[in-house]
Amino acid sequence: MAKIGVILCNCFGEIGNTVNLESIRERIASDPSVDFVSIRESLCQPGDSAAVHALVRERGIGKVLLGACSPYGRMEIVRQGLAKEGVDARTVRAVDLREGCAWIHGKDPVAATRKAANQLDMELALLQNMQDSRDVAIGVQREALVIGAGPAGLSAACGLARMGIRVHLVDRGTAPGGLLNVVTKVYPTELSGPEKLKPLVEMTGSSPLIRFYGKTKVASIKGYAGDFKVTLTGPEGSAALRVGAVVLATGARLLFPQGLYGYGKTKNVITQMEMERQLATGKAACKTAVFIQCVGARCAERPYCSTICCPMSLKNAMRILDEVPGSKAVILHRDIMTPGSVLEAFYRKALHRGVQFIRFDADRPPEIRGDGQVSGVEVFDVLSGVTRSIETDLLVLSTPLVADPESAALARMLEIPVDKHGFIAEVYPVHPVETRNDGVFICGTARWPASSDQAIAQGEAAAVKAASFLGTGTVSALTLSRVPGIKLGHAQADAEACTGCGNCVAVCPYEACKLQRVGQRSVSRVIKVRCKACGSCASVCPNGAMQIPEQNYRVTGAMIRRAFREVR
Amino acid sequence: MQTTDKKTKTVLVVGGGVAGISAALDLAGNGHRVHLVERGYDLGGQVAKLDKFYPTDHCAFCPLWTEIRRCKEDEAIAIHPLSRVETLEQQPGGYRAVVVQSACVVDPSLCINCGRCETACPKSVAKPIWEHAYPPVHVIDGNRCGDCRACVEVCPTKAIAFDREEQRVALDADEVIWAAGFDEVSLAPMKEYGWGTHPDILTSLEFEAWKAEAGDNQGKIIRRSDGAVPRSILFVQCAGARDLRLLPHCSAVCCMHALKQAQWVKRRHPDIDCVILYTDLRTVGRDYYEYALRDFNGNGVRLVRGRSSLITPLPDGNGIAVKYEDTITGKREIRQFDMVVLNGNLQSSLASKPAPGARPELSGEGFVTAAAVSCGFVMEPADVTESAIQAASAALRTITDKN
Repeated sequence: MAKIGVILCNCFGEIGNTVNLESIRERIASDPSVDFVSIRESLCQPGDSAAVHALVRERGIGKVLLGACSPYGRMEIVRQGLAKEGVDARTVRAVDLREGCAWIHGKDPVAATRKAANQLDMELALLQNMQDSRDVAIGVQREALVIGAGPAGLSAACGLARMGIRVHLVDRGTAPGGLLNVVTKVYPTELSGPEKLKPLVEMTGSSPLIRFYGKTKVASIKGYAGDFKVTLTGPEGSAALRVGAVVLATGARLLFPQGLYGYGKTKNVITQMEMERQLATGKAACKTAVFIQCVGARCAERPYCSTICCPMSLKNAMRILDEVPGSKAVILHRDIMTPGSVLEAFYRKALHRGVQFIRFDADRPPEIRGDGQVSGVEVFDVLSGVTRSIETDLLVLSTPLVADPESAALARMLEIPVDKHGFIAEVYPVHPVETRNDGVFICGTARWPASSDQAIAQGEAAAVKAASFLGTGTVSALTLSRVPGIKLGHAQADAEACTGCGNCVAVCPYEACKLQRVGQRSVSRVIKVRCKACGSCASVCPNGAMQIPEQNYRVTGAMIRRAFREVR
Repeated sequence: MQTTDKKTKTVLVVGGGVAGISAALDLAGNGHRVHLVERGYDLGGQVAKLDKFYPTDHCAFCPLWTEIRRCKEDEAIAIHPLSRVETLEQQPGGYRAVVVQSACVVDPSLCINCGRCETACPKSVAKPIWEHAYPPVHVIDGNRCGDCRACVEVCPTKAIAFDREEQRVALDADEVIWAAGFDEVSLAPMKEYGWGTHPDILTSLEFEAWKAEAGDNQGKIIRRSDGAVPRSILFVQCAGARDLRLLPHCSAVCCMHALKQAQWVKRRHPDIDCVILYTDLRTVGRDYYEYALRDFNGNGVRLVRGRSSLITPLPDGNGIAVKYEDTITGKREIRQFDMVVLNGNLQSSLASKPAPGARPELSGEGFVTAAAVSCGFVMEPADVTESAIQAASAALRTITDKN
């Protein structure tokens, strides 16, 4: 067994003035696995790392136990210093003798010393029993699959190609563009949707690295980060691919608000997207256009704001004023959602341009008049406290984007969660396009309602994140772990001890545990590159079959026995 | 337009907050080198000073800390703390930046945070740095120092020296990403907000630090004036923002920030009357509207649409008088509150006066234009999620040819 070197820091008396380091040295030095115990004045000052490294090399020890300050003190500096000198971080353990012993028990040196000795004892037990996970590296397929060729998917595909990665871009439509194809002016610019996407669509057509599959669907995806096996079905039958990363950019659907404000039964009651189509053909002639916001959104059924409807109404209201001389445009709204500087300026522009705004209360929604064809709207203006009656010949309903069930089906295939509205959930605010399944990235309105600019930025973000691990050549449980510093390995299943109860499968937050048939039995298997070594499986396994070698039950048991050695 | 750029680039990232950290990690992750210039002592920016994230109400610092550590462990990222970009000149094939690192009295590479300077200092100017900074060290406020040098005598590691000078280094970079974040703008010119006239009139960032669980009051919600638990707190939205006299833009993060703070107060002290005075309640992100709905559904924070016209201290410690109109009921009210939190006065830090050093072309409102690559609040008011997305997008644009 590799011998252990113990190095204790006096921290210029901050530790040694309270904790009796000499008595600890005597106690620990008698342990047969300990090669030496050295007390140093400091570990974090210039030259200390080199001196420790020299000591480690000279004595030829395999493991180091440090007694110094807390990880929130200067321990990380010590660790980094040792790592730079070439001491393997995984063989170094540290005990907090300063903040946790000397400082907090400053008034009771005997207790502080006992606590310090016990903690060092337990870490020695850990080092003596610790095993290695034997990390498994997997070769990365340097190709990516992008599902959905709207603004987000196009931007992700072009981003990946710009970084030299081969991309398979799949869309259920015949041509790229998605929802933006029907938008005649993308707020707050003067460009149409197709004009805005032109550079991306052109690159998709011309780049030798991008292959576009129109009218194609993803039939199945299996695998994990670095190696996904994909089956596509399209006009030319099915195709099999192997890719290292998957970008989900499947977009969202439009809500058609049947029954609300006479939609579907009354002439000239249309949705915002239908208005885009009318504007494209020049048919949106009207005297007074009334826009109603939050139709089917921010309500009990869909308690969310769809992000894009307020700016779209501002834009289309101004277009009516610009294109139809003498016309009026009125927006009936709840809160005007124009955060930031660009959209707030757009809102001010609409105010100056003469768009009228009337705030209504969700509990008193506007009522429409007219039989078969809309003729007017009654609305209680909450700011002035009066009911206003507006003659109108065009009622435009701002409806939210809703999640596409096809995205949810893909999410299930990829084993990533969707939120309660059906949109696909990211990992954390600081990881906005990453998912629980490494190697799967999300962008655009499949993730959450977004403007075209936001969707394009998210596509670029997904491309950068995907490229960063496609470029590594190999991935492993350790390299995929986002946790810096000491990395534990991964769980391992003991096929002999496993009874196939499935407890681990139920608790694994990363879908890394799977039941597999071996002969007559089901046994658990760990997809190693997915495992983050959280230990959930080990804690629910009734037979001790699931273990993380670095900290398995033998190690923990040895630590506990050592801690209570004196009591017993 | 097909470009496969295999060359390793060096990118100067100005600002080490969420946006700068994310951009640096994405660049390094793709094999490029980064100079990360941060004005503060440690990375993290404004978010590191927040207590909680919305809408999860989770600790704000933990996920950020992971990213900060990844930055520090990455050999491709050179971090320049306490630094600013003094000049930035274009040169063939890239840029040359002169970066100035301020002189520090306490050398963080030596200080062991033992606190002997704090004990020795007769004027109490040696203090521990803010809780989340790593490594934790003591700092000395040179402006209030009595020059006795007692601290120099007791320091065991010789970390304290008063004769250090600021350091200037010239850095060459292929590209620059501006990620300098935001600052609070002084509300003193707008006298109706009463900022600076009473200790219990705070900006929202001041309040966040004041009530932080890891802060001086360990999560207790008390008045700054006398340490008593307030009976009522008013959160005033759009203070100085959406206002052509100061900041025309909407700062985008303040509605959720106020909801988060008010709900936090309410959970701790259900008796405190919390009122949010808002213009439009802007809740556009995932789960944001439902976060606000908790209050519409009667959790207790009262949402009042309106704007205050006067906030002024009352005599004899009787709190603060606020004159406002509830624009839904049409009622004009004058009410007494124990604390007032002002929200919204955030602007791009590059728009601060005097100029913080070199800066790119800015819009009239102080945001970086499309002429330069930027991300986070200097590009457009943004929360953590948006900043991280823009950062990755900025990283892509610097490492591939723009098109």
